Amino acid sequence: MATRSTPRSTQQSSSAPRRAAVIGGNRIPFARANSTYSHASNQDMLTATLDGLVARFGLAGEQVGEVVAGAVLKHSRDFNLTRESVLGSSLAPTTPAYDVQQACGTGLEAAILVANKIALGQIDSGIAGGTDTASDAPIALNEGLRQTLLAANRAKTPVQRAKALTGLRPNQLVPSIPQNVEPRTGLSMGEHMAQTAKQWGVSREAQDEIAAASHQHLAAAYDRGFFDDLLTPFKGLTRDQNLRPDSSVEKLAKLNPVFGKGPDATMTAGNSTPLTDGAAAVLLGSDEWAAERGLPVLAHVVDAQTAAVDYVTGHEGLLMAPAYALPKLLERQGMKLQDFDLVEIHEAFASTVLCTLAAWESEEFCRDRLGLDAPIGELDRSKLNVNGSSLAAGHPFAATGGRIVASLAKALHEKGSGARGLISVCAAGGQGVMAILEAA
Amino acid sequence: MPESTSRVLTESPSLAPLFVKAALTSRGRGGALPDTVLRREAVQVDRDHLLAYQRICRFTGTDVLPPTYPHVLGFPLQVSLMSGRDFPLPLPGLVHLENRIVVHRQLTADDRLDISVHAEQLASHPKGQVVDLVTEVDVAGQRVWEGRSTYLRRGRGGDDAAYREKAPALPDRPPAAVLRLPEDLGRRYAAVSGDVNPIHLHPLTAKAMGFPRAIAHGMWTYARTLAALGPKAVEPGESSVWFGKPVLLPNTVEVVVDPDASPLVAGLRSRKDASKVFLTLTLS
Repeated sequence: MATRSTPRSTQQSSSAPRRAAVIGGNRIPFARANSTYSHASNQDMLTATLDGLVARFGLAGEQVGEVVAGAVLKHSRDFNLTRESVLGSSLAPTTPAYDVQQACGTGLEAAILVANKIALGQIDSGIAGGTDTASDAPIALNEGLRQTLLAANRAKTPVQRAKALTGLRPNQLVPSIPQNVEPRTGLSMGEHMAQTAKQWGVSREAQDEIAAASHQHLAAAYDRGFFDDLLTPFKGLTRDQNLRPDSSVEKLAKLNPVFGKGPDATMTAGNSTPLTDGAAAVLLGSDEWAAERGLPVLAHVVDAQTAAVDYVTGHEGLLMAPAYALPKLLERQGMKLQDFDLVEIHEAFASTVLCTLAAWESEEFCRDRLGLDAPIGELDRSKLNVNGSSLAAGHPFAATGGRIVASLAKALHEKGSGARGLISVCAAGGQGVMAILEAA
Repeated sequence: MPESTSRVLTESPSLAPLFVKAALTSRGRGGALPDTVLRREAVQVDRDHLLAYQRICRFTGTDVLPPTYPHVLGFPLQVSLMSGRDFPLPLPGLVHLENRIVVHRQLTADDRLDISVHAEQLASHPKGQVVDLVTEVDVAGQRVWEGRSTYLRRGRGGDDAAYREKAPALPDRPPAAVLRLPEDLGRRYAAVSGDVNPIHLHPLTAKAMGFPRAIAHGMWTYARTLAALGPKAVEPGESSVWFGKPVLLPNTVEVVVDPDASPLVAGLRSRKDASKVFLTLTLS
């Protein structure tokens, strides 16, 4: 059972909105890019994930309030990706759906949106999720070719059209392939992170320790059957493909750095998240809705907060926004970081986790950047990512939020009623999404 | 009389040579049906092939086998049996008239399928002679899937031929969907299904067989119509299809559905001429 030193309101006043319940989740095992799911589309993976969730909770043919999901790497033909996936699933075709996109924060933001509508009484149930494929990625026309074809399309006479088409050039056949770089800086996320890691003096050893722990924790969670009711096999995979149960600091130490330059580069393929394909979804509802169906309530969504930083001018590191979201959450909830029983910090890179923790421990950072009188302080590492995180499981961008919400809700439930957990997800564009769950 | 035999094939027969063999040996056939049962055991689904099939028929690319997919796995056995010298009807020119599929339980790519094919019910028909090719699929000794393909050999019909169930009338409703079928559809589906019957491949090869243009594979039109009906079409159940006029390629066709009928009735008709019905199916 969770015990806490800080007083805070655990009872809702009668005027406060109801809290959305996390009932359960489902995901497909995550696959390394260009491997087992190479030919699976975002819609295939999201549909399979929804069908697994529906089967687990007996929702075949039923209408839920809303399904909210998204993908980061999304083809233009998938403008209605979530609705199309719902239509392909065994949910009632009368289930409304919409897409959201907030880079790697997509899945968590989707869960917050569904939870908020449930809290407001606008819906009684909903599914939040996300899917991403780095293998079946959309490839766009070369920009020059696109402009030429659009000009030809605008032409009113055959002569105008012919003239527009004289703009065609052989080099326009080279397509535009999506790249993992920030549009405004041209730097990859890894390069951005390498700058921040250097700034915070994060060591190679500390990063490798985070990575090894991620693999060991995830493997242990599989071994004790933790994922048995959180996962549906897909395309022959029954576990996350990136998982290396025998990973160790010694093995990780042998890898060469891939991000950053010079002898003090610390970020390797082992302590950075690989490109991955997969999908995840979470079932949320009001307590009444769950009770009517005899469904369990694992946890409630307590609060959420987003933040963004100015990374373009170099004022702050690209993936540091969650550090800024936390004080607002703590203040609103009357909590300290140390009050949480479990903390999930998405491992975009091991160094992301370490820089965020270092920032919260820094008196200077907390004073100058967060405007706090005292540092947020140290986190007991035994509460961190206890069932593994993205370094081991992989990170199909929009799917990560759903993976974390479902896993944390279950882990909190195992701890006992009242246990609280924090979720932190950094995202491209210098953004961060956070949420608090409390075991039912 | 042919001997009763059951043969287990260790791999799926290649279809093109069988079609050639059947064409070369098409003359002088007759007599009764062979007792042959052709089997393949513990067939493992090739996931890339499944996905290619799901893509071309527009099923979602999940692990669930579309109800028509086991037919594709069993089809080489059908052709193998029908191209055998002891089969009474010549394979070239056989018309796929009807098909019935019963899915006892939802199958996934993880199931190991025992597939067997035999022929039965050689009978006269108002337009010639018909025969049923029966495909049965077992998983771990349990019957999970059954398909019955009825083929017509055009010819002198039996006057006394009392034929079985007729196709229900296609509902007179606005289209539920419009499908634009490209000219190369037959070649693309042939590449996935292995059914390289020349009538589907190219206008010239189709002309040689008496069609003005290449025609779509019946089993593609069947599968594509089922896919248009959404997830209920891949649930366990039974569906029957009656093939009408051939779909000349390219073409634009309409899916028509009567969702209130029990069993559900759906079909494909011409976009230009609503009276031209390509197929009718029931699903329950």
